Amino acid sequence: MRMPRMNHFRLLICVAALAACASADADDASPFTEGQQALLGIWVPDAAPRDLLTASGDAPPLTAEASRLYAERRQRLAGGDAAFDPTTWCAGPGMPRILTMQYPLEIRGDADRIVFIHAWYRWFRTVDMGPGTVDPPLPLAMGFPVGHWDQDTLVIRTVGLSDTTVMDASGLPHSEQLTLTERLHVLPDGRLEDRITIEDPENYTQPWETVLTFHRDTAARVADDVCPDRMAAGEPAEQLPGGRAGSSPAQLVATRAAAVATNPGAGTRRLAGIWEPKTFGIMVPEAPLSAAGQDIVTRNAAAMQAGRIMQTAWVSCRPGAVSTMTMPREKIVILESADEVTMLFEMPRMVRRIRMNASHPENLQPNYVGDSIGRWEGNTLVVDTLGFNGYAELDARGQPTSPQLHTVERFTPSADGSSIDIETTIEDPEYYTQPFTINRSWNKSEARHPFEFDCMENPREEDFENAYYVRERYQPICMRVAGEGMELSKMVCLRPE
Amino acid sequence: MRSAVRIGSVLPWIVLVCLSRAAIAHHSTAEFDYTRQVTIKGTVKEVQWTNPHSYIQLIVNGESGEMIQWSVEIGSPTLNINMGWRKDSVKVGDVVTINLSPARSGRPYGTLRVLTFADGRTLEGVAARIGAGPGSPPSGDRP
Repeated sequence: MRMPRMNHFRLLICVAALAACASADADDASPFTEGQQALLGIWVPDAAPRDLLTASGDAPPLTAEASRLYAERRQRLAGGDAAFDPTTWCAGPGMPRILTMQYPLEIRGDADRIVFIHAWYRWFRTVDMGPGTVDPPLPLAMGFPVGHWDQDTLVIRTVGLSDTTVMDASGLPHSEQLTLTERLHVLPDGRLEDRITIEDPENYTQPWETVLTFHRDTAARVADDVCPDRMAAGEPAEQLPGGRAGSSPAQLVATRAAAVATNPGAGTRRLAGIWEPKTFGIMVPEAPLSAAGQDIVTRNAAAMQAGRIMQTAWVSCRPGAVSTMTMPREKIVILESADEVTMLFEMPRMVRRIRMNASHPENLQPNYVGDSIGRWEGNTLVVDTLGFNGYAELDARGQPTSPQLHTVERFTPSADGSSIDIETTIEDPEYYTQPFTINRSWNKSEARHPFEFDCMENPREEDFENAYYVRERYQPICMRVAGEGMELSKMVCLRPE
Repeated sequence: MRSAVRIGSVLPWIVLVCLSRAAIAHHSTAEFDYTRQVTIKGTVKEVQWTNPHSYIQLIVNGESGEMIQWSVEIGSPTLNINMGWRKDSVKVGDVVTINLSPARSGRPYGTLRVLTFADGRTLEGVAARIGAGPGSPPSGDRP
């Protein structure tokens, strides 16, 4: 089942890149002008401002009440307490906070949507490029962005933003009345400018504008990032510019080998769109467990029989890509380009990058999402994934996986484009006696946006009482404890000694 | 998915069968005793409209006059929206009566069955649907 690996890896990269370019060149159906196309790709913040200022460098025009709240937060920050910012416990930064973080972002898109994929803990936002406005049914950290092109400028209006986030690391407040209007374009010097108009009458006396800029960096990658693991390793939830040493975001392990070619091809858009799982499977009864696998499942079952709460990778907010195969939930956004099929999962929140017509690197860096390569066989997208880290369970019984896990998914869209059937073959000789196959299917969604699943937002201490950790790694990093008496409950993070 | 991973007895299986796919979120069903119901009345201190679960912190007068803080799990934002809730459906300071299934731990903690406002309006929690029989939303297929 394993795909053959090539010895001449660099040659492969060139071939893959050339193939991607040739494919893109052959396809003149790009929805983008050359100027619009210039926005796509990976960008690195020029600065990660702790304090958002107006475009002219002034303090934002806070109302009196917001000013008091902000002063209180700044005082707390000076004392080392940044707990008003949910990113400190790996919860969603929201907008525009995520743009102020020192992490690369990648812009991909097609005619229907533009997607921002951030290098911080699998967050992404999906900009719907359709007409009209949206009526948000609930507030989200990333809100409900709707965009259009004004020549080569991408204009995005975002409403429905949750007030549980802050505007920047200094705690600049906002309410759910916040409306963001962004104008993104590439400056003559090649940098990306995001000029943001901020309207929030609850907190600001008038609309104000701030400007964030980004540059290209060929070394930058937008790879899988799992915030709780970084915190468990004693690193901060957010790498601050000029901060302590550690794995800087730009040095995150690159699993993408091919050159970035973001030009979508008309002929490749067979899966693009928003989908919803037709069925929700929580069990994989087909799995032929080996003795070692059965031992683990038996142990898990005994713990559950004893009334203990089982903590798996999914529950501990570190789901692996195999969970998107066995237990997909909620909406899935798919983008297709000549070089990549990008799958963005709402729940579990995850970004899967499938490099088309490529090969696995010789030295795979094991991680939660693995290394996925794809090819079309007729109307079926075949995705081969290796390089898992073994921290994932297949299902509700906690059926294990090992780094030997190898998956082959076959995505076949229906003739009318209303559904996708997915046949997944799972092979893991450490825990299963033979390869086995599961079947799932997704229906086309009418939604313009996915919702969000922010697994780390509210870990409650009650959830960890009497817990059974399938793996030691799944220990909690932070939890919300009930305050005493009339005090509000609060988040407490457990730093390693 | 905790609902899925904490399965260890027959009851949670029944729960899973009875709940819609939306109800099977992140959480345990074994954590609560769905065969029991407790009704408490108090003042809403805090509403955590959050993933993976939302909570109401309710201040209740105890039998000896002491103030007891209950944690009441009320679902998750997307689930509650699908059940007719809005983010501001319950506000800090509201006086409400809550019927819940209590935690097995015996702590002042439970999962919401029905919340009743002072004016008689009600909001249902997921637990209210448990054991409702054949009319319950099926698991698996999306509505």
